[in-house]
Amino acid sequence: MNTVISTEGLRKMYGRVHALDGLDLSVSAGQVHGFLGPNGAGKSTTIRILLGLARSSGGTARLLDADPWHDAAALHRRIAYVPGDVSVWPNLTGGEAVDLLVRLRGGDTRTAEYRAERERLSTAFQFDPRTRGRAYSKGNRQKISLIAAFALPAELYILDEPTSGLDPLMEIVFQQEVSRVSAAGATVLLSSHILSEVERLCDHVSIIRAGRIVETGTLADLRHLTRTEVSFDDDGTVPAGAQDLVREGGRIRFTMDPADMPTTLAALADAKVQGLRVNPPSLEELFLRHYGDAATTRRGSAA
Amino acid sequence: MSTLATRRARTTPGRSGAIRSLWVMEMRRDRLQLPLWILGNAAMAALAVTGVTQSYGTDAERSTLLATAIANPVILTFRGLPSGSGVPAFTGFLILPFLVMIAAFMSSFLAVRHTRAEEESGRAELVGATVASRRAVLWATLLHGVSANVVTAAAIAAAFLASGFPPGGSVIAGLATGAAGLVFLGIALIGAQLFATARGANALGVIAILVGFLLSGVGNALGTPNADLTRMESSPLTWFSPFGWAENVRPFADDSLAPILLLVAAAAAAVLLTYALQSRRDVGGSLVASRPGPATAGWSLRGPVTLVGRLTRGSILAWAVGAFLTGALATSLAAVVQEMGGSNPAVAAILEAMSKNDDLQAGTVVIFFTVVGILASCCAVQIIARARQEEAHGTVEPVWAASVGRRSWLASYVLIAALSILAVDAAAALGAFAGLRRSGADLALDVWVGAAGQAAVAAVFLAITALVLVVLPRWTIGVGWSTVVLATIIGLFGPLFGLPDELTRLSPFSQTPTVTADGVDGRGVIGIIVTAIVALVLSVWLVRRRPLVTAG
Repeated sequence: MNTVISTEGLRKMYGRVHALDGLDLSVSAGQVHGFLGPNGAGKSTTIRILLGLARSSGGTARLLDADPWHDAAALHRRIAYVPGDVSVWPNLTGGEAVDLLVRLRGGDTRTAEYRAERERLSTAFQFDPRTRGRAYSKGNRQKISLIAAFALPAELYILDEPTSGLDPLMEIVFQQEVSRVSAAGATVLLSSHILSEVERLCDHVSIIRAGRIVETGTLADLRHLTRTEVSFDDDGTVPAGAQDLVREGGRIRFTMDPADMPTTLAALADAKVQGLRVNPPSLEELFLRHYGDAATTRRGSAA
Repeated sequence: MSTLATRRARTTPGRSGAIRSLWVMEMRRDRLQLPLWILGNAAMAALAVTGVTQSYGTDAERSTLLATAIANPVILTFRGLPSGSGVPAFTGFLILPFLVMIAAFMSSFLAVRHTRAEEESGRAELVGATVASRRAVLWATLLHGVSANVVTAAAIAAAFLASGFPPGGSVIAGLATGAAGLVFLGIALIGAQLFATARGANALGVIAILVGFLLSGVGNALGTPNADLTRMESSPLTWFSPFGWAENVRPFADDSLAPILLLVAAAAAAVLLTYALQSRRDVGGSLVASRPGPATAGWSLRGPVTLVGRLTRGSILAWAVGAFLTGALATSLAAVVQEMGGSNPAVAAILEAMSKNDDLQAGTVVIFFTVVGILASCCAVQIIARARQEEAHGTVEPVWAASVGRRSWLASYVLIAALSILAVDAAAALGAFAGLRRSGADLALDVWVGAAGQAAVAAVFLAITALVLVVLPRWTIGVGWSTVVLATIIGLFGPLFGLPDELTRLSPFSQTPTVTADGVDGRGVIGIIVTAIVALVLSVWLVRRRPLVTAG
């Protein structure tokens, strides 16, 4: 499988601040790759380097087998990009901005195919193309960028927190579009801090913290890294091997290693505990483990 | 604003406290810019005194210049109101309109910067949601603008006083400058209500200043001189302009207070109108409602070059109209004044001689085409500065993220700016030829040389601004405009201020080709063209290494 995005030891300094501190990111063709991290972790900086908008201070970055800085203009014909904070020209209408962005990517806006696609997306996103840029709300500015990105096929979609400002209905439309381009064989890099979105859309995930990738792999790979939470009505039973045991609100709650699950659950079944609940780890917990106050000091890489 | 302002707001709750917090913040934001405007203005006054004592030391020299100026409408249009041949009054004649102009620009930009620009960026919404309320920004900006003009008045009075001029006239000259500044503060505040963009409001302010300056100047040129040609009574036209009111204070001659009261009353009226307009609209909204536009992009919006053209076409048109009028004045002003004024036999005689004397007419063309050159330079700098504004606003990112290379991006702005220079100079030439058809003089060569030479000058400013855009992006707007202003001051006022020739020659405006008896002397222009080409080549070469530099 060929690699679409690969960075090795990528660094970016802003003055004395390390925005990226040796970032190794690898995205293979056909993946919908989630790029997760809290604000300020370096997601947008990485994407700006991949788009040739910023220059790396060290390390290498390759995009579709080309140099993102030197071959920017040629590369961008094969890429669609949606930023998280879309700025539009105040005196152009939304429809003009969509057409312009597509033309700037080298697309032909006169084909019937494009016009039908644009029409379909405008309807799906409930977008009014006749309003001037300055009058659009944040969500509507976001739609301009999304429609321009999805109206013209691309090999790679780079989406930087693309749903910020969209309402839940529009988020569903967005997810359908990502599924559509993915089914057509395109690669997607989706940066986000919304875990449910990534869980729903992505087959691979990389987690970035303080300018470094701290976890990467398939969703299934990453689930092995967290402990499953188990709780039941407090009847005095204290299972063996339980960690982080808490007794409150009439319930006993603890976590366990997935590997211990068969034996522990069998023991609990023997004890006939009531109200048993087993929560598989969510990305929320993955996140908390790395960025929460209780974050462990472990800083490994899983794959 | 940080801690100081917030702490004050806490100890004085309510609206007055909020207005004061905003005022403190506005002063903080302008802590570098405003002192430069004010000190520059006072320095202009002080330099004028030095220049007059050096260049026009004797009463005879001053009287001769006054007589020439009164007789020559071109000179008078670009100077003040002759009020006598004493050193102080003569200095006031030469420099007062320009002191007023600096105060006017300072006030106009200040008003828009703190009102409409804040609304456009969305920051006003944050402020309007606090106890400050919608109107607090207006009051704070008013306090800020009034205090800036009070300090300007004091600084100019101090500059004249320090030169040993009479106290009464010094104070009056300062007050006239500050009060005229207040009027343009008010006009810009109205503009900020009418237009949805800071650019629109600033354009209104600049046009008001230039029209006011020209009305007053032409009005003076059409006025009635006294018998010995040392004093001019303004024609009614002058009284339509705040510049005319300020000049009719006649510092160091009449020291008349009445026009200052008129200025203050006009400023107050403008503020009342602003207040009334603001009560009628939403935050962020304008009084000119926007209509739905096209749903698809036309063929006029197909790539980076056409995008820049689309974004700048309005201002290019405005500069070209100004250049057309300037060009028309260049070849017809003498004839117009002769027809409309000229009741004084001495003046009529000089005008008669002037319209026959080709040298004088050619000189007029040179002076007015220098103004055309300034207009073309401003237009070009504005377009390159627009590239930086677009970048800070975030609309360059989608262009670079699409398939537009950094070189093509820069080239699109340079190309449109170059075309705009040609358009502005062509408009001026068109106006000049329209004027020539009326006067019948044979000045075609002078017009062509003037237009071409000034196009070369404007290209230098284009190239310098483009280089700064590539190398020091955040400085683009400041450096671009400053070089035009400095070159204008050095080129036009250098001889008056008695600046050394080496310095004066640094201004491209002093290097334009001239028409002589033997043909065209274009030696100076070679340096201009070489500078422009070097700066352009450097910027196109270096832009490949330039990352996107966002707001800040």
